[in-house]
Amino acid sequence: MSGKILNMVRVTDPIERIAHWLLAGSCLFCLFTGLGLMFRSWDFIPALLGGLYATKWMHIFSGVVFAFTLIYAFMMWKKDCAFEPDDAKWIAQGGGYLWKTNNLPPVYKYNAGQKLFFWFVVVFGVLIVLSGLVIWNPLVFPTAVARWSYALHALSALVIGSFFVVHLYLGTIGNPGTFQAMTTGWCSKAWCETHCPRWLAEREKDPSES
Amino acid sequence: MKKTEYIKLIDTTKCTACRGCQVACKQWNEMPAMRTRNFGSYQNPPDLQWNTWTLIRFQEHVDKNGDFKWLFRKDGCMHCTEAACIKVCPSGALYHTEYGTVGINQKLCIGCKACISACPFDIPRFNQQTEKIYKCDLCYDRLKDGQQPACALSCPTGAITVGEREAMIDKAYGRLDQLEGKGIVYGDKFVGGTHVMYILSEDPAVYDKLPVKPRIPASVILWKNLFKPFTLIGMGAVAGMAALHYLIKGPHEVHENKEGDE
Ligand code: HEM
Ligand code: SF4
Ligand code: SF4
Ligand code: SF4
Repeated sequence: MSGKILNMVRVTDPIERIAHWLLAGSCLFCLFTGLGLMFRSWDFIPALLGGLYATKWMHIFSGVVFAFTLIYAFMMWKKDCAFEPDDAKWIAQGGGYLWKTNNLPPVYKYNAGQKLFFWFVVVFGVLIVLSGLVIWNPLVFPTAVARWSYALHALSALVIGSFFVVHLYLGTIGNPGTFQAMTTGWCSKAWCETHCPRWLAEREKDPSES
Repeated sequence: MKKTEYIKLIDTTKCTACRGCQVACKQWNEMPAMRTRNFGSYQNPPDLQWNTWTLIRFQEHVDKNGDFKWLFRKDGCMHCTEAACIKVCPSGALYHTEYGTVGINQKLCIGCKACISACPFDIPRFNQQTEKIYKCDLCYDRLKDGQQPACALSCPTGAITVGEREAMIDKAYGRLDQLEGKGIVYGDKFVGGTHVMYILSEDPAVYDKLPVKPRIPASVILWKNLFKPFTLIGMGAVAGMAALHYLIKGPHEVHENKEGDE
């Protein structure tokens, strides 16, 4: 029945959206509490959360949620985010975001930029979780491992935090019509033809879909 | 803040390992003793503990000529000028006092243990019950009261003395002259100068658990001087670029020709 909504296509299912928001929510909360641990001058963060000790524990719990969600998200998106030869062409043209291009390779579900974001989150997500586990319990590891884990944790936060800002921009005002993909799950057909033409074509061939 | 920096000079050549300082420290700071197990040395407890902020390390040493010698070293916080523990502490529990020494405010400590990993001398200790860090504070309360630290007061041989920085450095080098070159001054050449110095009778490398070239770990410098500021710089720069993109290129609209019915 829902497929009958005029000119709209369902691009995500509820499980996908729940996983996305669990991942994003736990990551952002980690970033927020992490910045409270990182900058003493940002003491409004611990003040808001009931002190630095509480902030530390909220950070760790949120990190554990992030870790498990990351595993699920990896399983869910790894196929759609696997690189293919055409991705190099997409990247070489800046995805059409930076200058005029007219021969962008047609995208399946996710473009090469989105895939890159996914793999950065996976790789640095694993690093931030592993280093986080070490600095949670630094005394059970050799001193050198503990010391470098603090540096690695901060580096990973820097990478994920910066990529997150790009993701935020491109997922909202940078690409009108995209945000609904993660709220209602429905995007316009025109949106699909712009953002995921190959996926749309394949799906229209299969009448059981929608 | 008026700065009168103090230094505690520990002359190991005068130490007889009576452990008066160890006991005085516990007594003044009201730290309990705990049952320990003999591990084949007079050194007791075997290591620094949350409740033992200073410890005489006993070491049997055979020198180049085959002569046997006891080495005694009073271990404890060195009160670094460039203190790695303060650099990593997220809560401000560790701080420099007006005497240049490193104080600790347990009320602020969140028990993250970052200072333990960072300290090049392996000094801070964690208490599982209180979830707080403990270490020597160079008797901050006594210094404020014009008193010398408990350990210095208790020392019967004069191996521990405390005074103003310049005077103590002069005193240390003066003592070398008395020892006719058979001593080494340890503490003024690294981490910006420590506020605890040693006169050692042997090369620093000979002593148990004494770093020859202590410094703030490279990982801590990368973490705090590079990655930390760049977390904000990176996110801010990217946000700036996104804003510029929005203003110059505008949002990426979908192909309008496909809009409407079909
Ligand atoms: C299992 C996952 C995680 C654990 C166990 C964990 C644990 C910790 C701990 C214990 C600290 C305190 C370090 C200190 O006091 O110096 C910390 C700091 C921090 N964490 Fe995490 N974390 C995890 C995941 C994350 C995630 C997903 C992010 C966000 C992207 C993040 C960002 C930060 C930041 C920015 C800091 C401050 C680092 C600093 O002081 O330089 N963490 N983390
Ligand atoms: S010896 Fe360790 S605990 Fe003491 S001031 Fe230096 S870094 Fe801090
Ligand atoms: S354990 Fe306490 S004193 Fe040590 S770095 Fe963390 S908050 Fe600071
Ligand atoms: S200075 Fe005070 S706290 Fe430090 S070892 Fe001596 S008695 Fe203990």
